[in-house]
Amino acid sequence: MLIFFLDRFYQSLYALKDNLRRTLLSIIGIAIGIAAVMAVGAISKGGNYLIFSELETFGLNSLWVSRDRADKDPNRMVREGTGISNNDYLALTADCCSAVHRISAIVYGTRGKRNIIQANNRYSNAQLQGVDFSLTTIANDVIVQGRAFRSRDISKRRTVAIIGPTVAKDLFGEASPLGREFRINNRKYTVIGLLEDKSRDFLASIGSAGGQDANNRILIPFTTFQQMLGNKKINYLQAEAVTQVQAAEAAEQIIAILKRHNGRNFTYKSETMASYIATTERILDGVAMIGIIAASVSLLVGGMGIMNIMSTSVLERTREIGLRKAIGARKRDILLQFLLEAVVISTAGGLIGLTLGTAASIVLSELTGFPLAPSFVVIVIALVVSVAVGIISGYLPARRAANLPPVDALRYE
Amino acid sequence: MIHLTGIYKSYRVGERDLPILRNIDLKVSAGEFIAIMGPSGSGKTTLLNVIGCLDSVDAGSYTLAGETIEHATDDELARIRNRHIGFVFQLFNLIPRISALRNVELPMIYSGVSPVERQQLALQALQRMAIDDRADHAPNQLSGGQQQRVAIARALVNNPELLVADEPTGSLDSATGSEIMNLFSQLNQAGMTIIMVTHEEEIAAYAGRIIRLKDGEIAADDKRC
Repeated sequence: MLIFFLDRFYQSLYALKDNLRRTLLSIIGIAIGIAAVMAVGAISKGGNYLIFSELETFGLNSLWVSRDRADKDPNRMVREGTGISNNDYLALTADCCSAVHRISAIVYGTRGKRNIIQANNRYSNAQLQGVDFSLTTIANDVIVQGRAFRSRDISKRRTVAIIGPTVAKDLFGEASPLGREFRINNRKYTVIGLLEDKSRDFLASIGSAGGQDANNRILIPFTTFQQMLGNKKINYLQAEAVTQVQAAEAAEQIIAILKRHNGRNFTYKSETMASYIATTERILDGVAMIGIIAASVSLLVGGMGIMNIMSTSVLERTREIGLRKAIGARKRDILLQFLLEAVVISTAGGLIGLTLGTAASIVLSELTGFPLAPSFVVIVIALVVSVAVGIISGYLPARRAANLPPVDALRYE
Repeated sequence: MIHLTGIYKSYRVGERDLPILRNIDLKVSAGEFIAIMGPSGSGKTTLLNVIGCLDSVDAGSYTLAGETIEHATDDELARIRNRHIGFVFQLFNLIPRISALRNVELPMIYSGVSPVERQQLALQALQRMAIDDRADHAPNQLSGGQQQRVAIARALVNNPELLVADEPTGSLDSATGSEIMNLFSQLNQAGMTIIMVTHEEEIAAYAGRIIRLKDGEIAADDKRC
């Protein structure tokens, strides 16, 4: 069986060597097709990593609950306030909800027209956020220097702050900010932690991320912030669900408690990272699909190239086909000979394309830092596709060759 | 060895059937050397193709070496041609891009002989045609006579009972032509059955029996020995 196959293979190679330039052109056609499909795959995978690495900066299990300001009920519409009080929050932190792992109050706002943040005549325009000690964990914030908030920081309304790298640079230059002091609205705060540099360039560039620059944030205890603002309002809640799939459930549980407390005056809405991720995945899949369809067109063109040269080859070798049949070749021998020729071309193209595509993916991996090299499965699929392209595009010409009547073929000029 | 009875074959030309072979009854015994002659259009090549199992007939029966041909499938015909018949053509029909040796190996590829054995047998066949010194040459590096010797070696390599030749000297000068005919005579003396189409009387003279066709019918059948 193997010898039988090698024999046929050898016959095919001879024919290909004979038309080397034509063969090479077809090989390049397939190579470009395979490489293009692989490159598109790697690029879309890179995009995925990029977006997910930014989505991760919000915490993949995160969810947000706030008052629904789109509520059109006239009685509720006239109510002032955020709809979330410290009492509500107390109930929520008392192990209220099975799907909620952690929860943090978020307070923002200004005293006067804006918050003035300064240290020795250096100013910062950072966004000020009052948070609970759990927030840095919920939001996947890594503290590279210093420490996170502790519950005592919150309960004692300490004037301590965790700052982003942009704030540190604006206020303290290149020196370590840890233990340094600065002022918010003339009250002195001590820096206890420095946040890791978080890139949200891509999300920011498409107008997402709530206009927040993750690196230009100052976190202080929400209790301290409330003291500064002179009220007991919580603007919204950020929580972490036990698992990503429980995010919606967690939001429902939180809203249920808020409604029990304030249902007459307020309604609430929630957003979950899970739903953002689902939307993002849908968009990315769509983009990848379009890219792969576009790249597949080049593979299709490559396949048509093979069909073209195989048709020419059959025509040119009509007498040879007649001779082979006269001396005992059956239909399937001729079919196999020409199919093998087509498969040799497409597989050679596939191997070259695979090499180019892999090289491109590795370069892309080096540039982006994401692991984009093709998996074993992708390599197997690329090879299977190349063989399939050869069989499909070689089949019609090969069948025509196999069905030639020997007398007519021998007489062909 | 060959038995044709009531062979009829026609081509459709427009509305009408144009008979190309009619009432062909022919018996050939093993060891005969036959020349088929006739004016062009008399059907001699068609008859040779029918005998060589390359072409089908519309009516009549044909047995070759005990095998019934008229109902055989394409694959069966391919096997019969491969085992029982060797072909020699006017234009040699060697595959241009492969060596003489590989050309001679071709029929054995389709009969499933192992590569090593194939090469030995091919070389032996070339030796018998005294052309083994050119085994590595491509056909375009050989003269017409040398090419025809390679083609005969290819025809004989599977040890067929029947050699079918269509104008085997048609592309050769007369000296080379007689050389090839002497080879045929030697093969015939060694027991090979040969059926050959020619339009040259001096070539036909090598044969022991001359069949003359006219308008698709056997007009004369001269046995000389």
